[in-house]
Amino acid sequence: MPIIEVTGVSKTYHDAASDRVVRTLDKVSIAAEENDFLILLGPSGCGKSTLLNIVAGLVPSDPDGGRVLVAGKPVTGPNPKLMAYMFQDPVLYPWRTVLKNVEFGLEAQDVDRAERRQRALKYLRLVGLEEFADAYPRQLSGGMAQRVALCRALALETEIILMDEPFAALDEQSRILLGDELVSIWRQVRRTIVFVTHSLTEAVYLGQRIAVFTARPGRIKLDIANDLPRPRAIGTAEFNQMVDRVWQQLKAESQAAAASGTKAARDEILLPEE
Amino acid sequence: MGKLSPTLARTLLVVALLALWEVFTRLSSVSAILIAPPSAIIMQMVQILVRTSNVPDFYANARLTIAEILVAYGLAAVAGVLTGIAVASSKVIGDAFEPILLVLYAVPKIILYPVIVLMIGTGPATKILFGIFVGIFVIIFNTAAGLRQVEPNYLRLAHSLGYGSAKIFFKVELPAAAQTILAGLRLGFGYTIIGVLTGELLLVNAGLGYLIDWASVNYYTAQLYALIIITLAIGVVANYIVGHIERRWVRG
Repeated sequence: MPIIEVTGVSKTYHDAASDRVVRTLDKVSIAAEENDFLILLGPSGCGKSTLLNIVAGLVPSDPDGGRVLVAGKPVTGPNPKLMAYMFQDPVLYPWRTVLKNVEFGLEAQDVDRAERRQRALKYLRLVGLEEFADAYPRQLSGGMAQRVALCRALALETEIILMDEPFAALDEQSRILLGDELVSIWRQVRRTIVFVTHSLTEAVYLGQRIAVFTARPGRIKLDIANDLPRPRAIGTAEFNQMVDRVWQQLKAESQAAAASGTKAARDEILLPEE
Repeated sequence: MGKLSPTLARTLLVVALLALWEVFTRLSSVSAILIAPPSAIIMQMVQILVRTSNVPDFYANARLTIAEILVAYGLAAVAGVLTGIAVASSKVIGDAFEPILLVLYAVPKIILYPVIVLMIGTGPATKILFGIFVGIFVIIFNTAAGLRQVEPNYLRLAHSLGYGSAKIFFKVELPAAAQTILAGLRLGFGYTIIGVLTGELLLVNAGLGYLIDWASVNYYTAQLYALIIITLAIGVVANYIVGHIERRWVRG
């Protein structure tokens, strides 16, 4: 049984700026098996982040019969015991130390102090930032800050990690290095990762499966297994072959997205009204 | 001569000015009633503090002023922060009440002083109320602004980690807004002092403001300067304490 099962999910919202109803997702169905490393790839504005947010329980999908099951249960809201979520930005609280930032997710779950600390340190060690435990976020580089954010997600020790373009704001070297770390951690701890990106190279470099989205309204156009052996190397013949194969599908959609005129808005998510 | 540090330069400037002032008042024909020499002022300060001056009931009056400031500031801080939270917490409340607050903020408060005196008389309560009135707005607006400027991602993260809105408020919104709120509290403190002292200067029945007025109308020029300096010193020390607390909080 797949651990994540999305069936016929749509999302429309009212765009206040243009006063129009925008449909970002159109009856999307996709599933992830346990230990999957699933990439959601698509042109900007195609709704891939929206889909991730729906799976995470951060935004509701349209109430039109679509269904999201995670570990067999419908998603009704954030479930940090089951799913960790990682943003494009590190989102570290500047008034907390690195260690306290990593512990922040565990605090919500009433994990006791000693255990919190021990778990946070374990993952900081895993990404080589143990000695920065008592530093403040402003003392970190962009790549280090994103590593800390990764630790915060890992420390929850959830079955599933959802990542929304987590390395998009980094320079290319940090991106590749962090990608390597993520893959090695994934192979060690065996979690299910769903990873949103608009980078073709990143998708092929990291993913075990790649789902290509159409331009808005987003649908899944292609869902392929990427069984290139690891460790992978960018630029080898087989790597390029895979990139080509995905690009053939992605190209038309990127052109469509570019041609649709308006610069596709980033799929912002909103907090539910309180 | 070695390197000139900023502190040394500043000290030298102040000493030079005081010396110039002293020499000027000794040599010139300007009456001592108009300008007192620094030496006389310093003498007066000492005399006031050891109660050998002719300034009446210095300690009782100083205590009253400090008490008024503390009460006014305590109330302004609590009411200001709570009002700021209310204004920021809901769009309806914000839209409904912020225009009123902005008008009150923009009005020169002094023109409302006679109304306050008419309403509640000439006791300490009037000065306290005026102090609150002068000090509270910057606290309200800074609190509201600080809370509104919290990065949406900070809230999204906490939400995704399963925090409820009450916990998000105390664990994320308040600390994220702390710097702006504390800046408002610090400015508000200065304004509250101004409000209380203005009240005393206008009412002229008790407090340091009253003593300053007393020295002025009786041409006790040295006493006047000495009292002003003492009042300033109290303000500076209090401001330092508030600033110190602010820095500790921001870091913690």
